[in-house]
Amino acid sequence: MSNNSLVDATWALAHLDDGKVVFIEVDEDTQAYAENHIKNAIALNWKSDLQDPVRRDFVNKEQFSALLSAKGVSNDDTVILYGGNNNWFAAYAYWYFKLYGHGDVRLLDGGRKKWELDGRELVSEVPSRTVTNYVAKDQDLSIRAFRDDVLNAIGTKNLVDVRSPDEYSGRLLAPAHLPQEAARVGGHIPTAANIPWSKAANEDGSFKSIADLKALYEGSGVDLSKDTIAYCRIGERSAHSWFVLHELLGVKNVSNYDGSWTEYGSLVGVPVAVGDEPGEA
Amino acid sequence: MSACGAVVGGVSLENVDLTSQSVIQGVVSQNNALASVGYVRLLDKSDEFVAEVPLSKQGEFRFFAAPGDWTVVTLTPGTTSRTPVTATLGKIVDLEIVVS
Repeated sequence: MSNNSLVDATWALAHLDDGKVVFIEVDEDTQAYAENHIKNAIALNWKSDLQDPVRRDFVNKEQFSALLSAKGVSNDDTVILYGGNNNWFAAYAYWYFKLYGHGDVRLLDGGRKKWELDGRELVSEVPSRTVTNYVAKDQDLSIRAFRDDVLNAIGTKNLVDVRSPDEYSGRLLAPAHLPQEAARVGGHIPTAANIPWSKAANEDGSFKSIADLKALYEGSGVDLSKDTIAYCRIGERSAHSWFVLHELLGVKNVSNYDGSWTEYGSLVGVPVAVGDEPGEA
Repeated sequence: MSACGAVVGGVSLENVDLTSQSVIQGVVSQNNALASVGYVRLLDKSDEFVAEVPLSKQGEFRFFAAPGDWTVVTLTPGTTSRTPVTATLGKIVDLEIVVS
């Protein structure tokens, strides 16, 4: 599949040496990039580059501008994001680039996993790029939801929990590749529908067809004419679902709650639902 | 805040209280050698995706599940395989998966 927000390997291969196209690998763990990566790709670290070092929040506009300037990215570059974990963190970075108003940003369909499984070339050479003067815009808060937005959405707007059914129900507190230990409670935000991010992706990490994606959401009982807030545990899987809804299906009234369950599940006094049903407002 | 990302081979058991965990781990081999390029997915009893880790260079993977029945799916270039497994609290299930 390809559209203006998504490129496939054929497109990528034709643009690996294009000076106005910047491939950026986005992972939590820089070990993967350090070992090998797509030719001419640079790296962004989900946490150390994109999160404020002290507060739980993003780097601000000035910090983001400085980061991309130092990385050699210009405002008029086409940015192609890809990464591991089925593009979770690349989708998060995509949403982040959109938040700060980058003009032309796209995802590589399937990310690093599909590239590897298809046996495509990865290299270890790290490219050098000339420092630029990148200028980020103010955050587009129409695509970002905060705690109070979510509380006010219970019973009035769509809430979509994109975690696995076991996390939604409270049976697991984290994805199962992580130890199950956390101080916060398990469960979900009352009235939230559970539409796992994984239903939008093929085994190789690529997105399902537009027809399948439409059927997924239309069959879920969620009325997409209403405002929708997506969330997961820390906002990266819900960025993947936000990408599907906002960019691939063209549903514009969708935002991503990056505080997600790590914030909501630790709040004092808020309603929580457990089990497989959405629960009451 | 810890991230959701999967580390290669799975999170280390160091400093993890195993009495509160239901661990599924193993090694994947292909063509009489350890499979160093590939991914392992954990599916729940309804075949829904729960987690995924890249294989380590030694073909290793590890999940922290809950007690119950699960399916381990391995993806290596050109192959896919499924292995049913039952996890138990406080126990480590070790799998040796051979794909061809």
